[in-house]
Amino acid sequence: MHLQPDELVDLAEGTRAEASAPHLAECAVCRLQLAELRAMMSAAADGDVPEPSPLFWDHFSARVRQAVSAEDAPRRSFWTWPRVVIPVAAVATAVLAVGLTLNTGRADPSVPTVGPAPLAPVASVDLLSDPRSAGDTALTLVAELSSDMDVDTAHEAGLAARGSAEHAITHMNGAELRELQRLLQEELAHSGA
Amino acid sequence: MRTVTQPMRPSEPALVDLDERELVEACLGGQAAAFDVIVERHRRAVYLLCYRFVSNHEDASDLSQDVFLRAYRGLRSFRGQSSLATWLYRIGVNVCLNRVSAKKPHSESIADRQFVDARAESASDRLLKDERGTRVRAAIAQLPRKQRVTLVLRMYHEMSHQEIADVLGSSVGAVKANFFHALGNLKKMLGDEAL
Repeated sequence: MHLQPDELVDLAEGTRAEASAPHLAECAVCRLQLAELRAMMSAAADGDVPEPSPLFWDHFSARVRQAVSAEDAPRRSFWTWPRVVIPVAAVATAVLAVGLTLNTGRADPSVPTVGPAPLAPVASVDLLSDPRSAGDTALTLVAELSSDMDVDTAHEAGLAARGSAEHAITHMNGAELRELQRLLQEELAHSGA
Repeated sequence: MRTVTQPMRPSEPALVDLDERELVEACLGGQAAAFDVIVERHRRAVYLLCYRFVSNHEDASDLSQDVFLRAYRGLRSFRGQSSLATWLYRIGVNVCLNRVSAKKPHSESIADRQFVDARAESASDRLLKDERGTRVRAAIAQLPRKQRVTLVLRMYHEMSHQEIADVLGSSVGAVKANFFHALGNLKKMLGDEAL
């Protein structure tokens, strides 16, 4: 049986002694293969790569350094953007929440409630009509900002907790919502807001 | 051939004395200069590896930069189970094979070969050696991918069969078989004149 490729490689590289492969002595084919393998290893050694200019290495290191420092920038910006977005989102959410509370808090109690589920009692306080809040510019601003808010926006903001008035609003059909909107606008007009 | 390495500016005296693992740790700890030291230690080997795949200075330079950039990105994944050199070779082989399969390597120009340090050779010897070298590199470029990687890493980067197996994710036996077949194919391409 002829020598296997890995055996011939070991013999050609000298990591295995020829004496340990008695087959070589009696097989001309394997001896030829071994000789050719050694010759090709010697020929392949001529395929040396030309060295670049000595000046190249500093230039190369500078290029890598530049590329690596540029690589850092997006990571930093990735980690810093939530610092801006999160506070903005928090403020927007607070505006939505207060605005909804104000609007629902002004609903006329004489108006019958509508909706598939019984509404939870409105626990919010009508802050604008509270004498303690009179002249509070911040509250006025919030009321103005939220006056055009639609139910979908509130729903998307995740503000409608189950059992709350907001939750009931988000479960109204189109006609019910239009009616509620009309009533709220009417109420706001009465209050002079 | 004499290795030409330029000493990098010592960013921090202590860094150059660190071993591979410590350099990686320093890098991950935010010391950017530690990566400079890694680049300095391995840039020549990485460049020569890349050159053997693309056969021109421009592409070899770009690929080498890409190798280090990928290494930087993946530094956290380096666990020290293999040497940093083996890890970089693995990245280098992947980068080169991806490039080679996407782009046909162009042949070497005279300008590509102008930096050969041939001070000890006569002009005719140098010319002959250049021609042989170009033929051998061209033949190596025709080898199947795994045979080419195995031959390059074994012949020119003096990696052990085990290290090559680590780079390729194969067995030592498979590496030896690839090496054997690579040399056989090289003989077919170069003919008897190479012997």
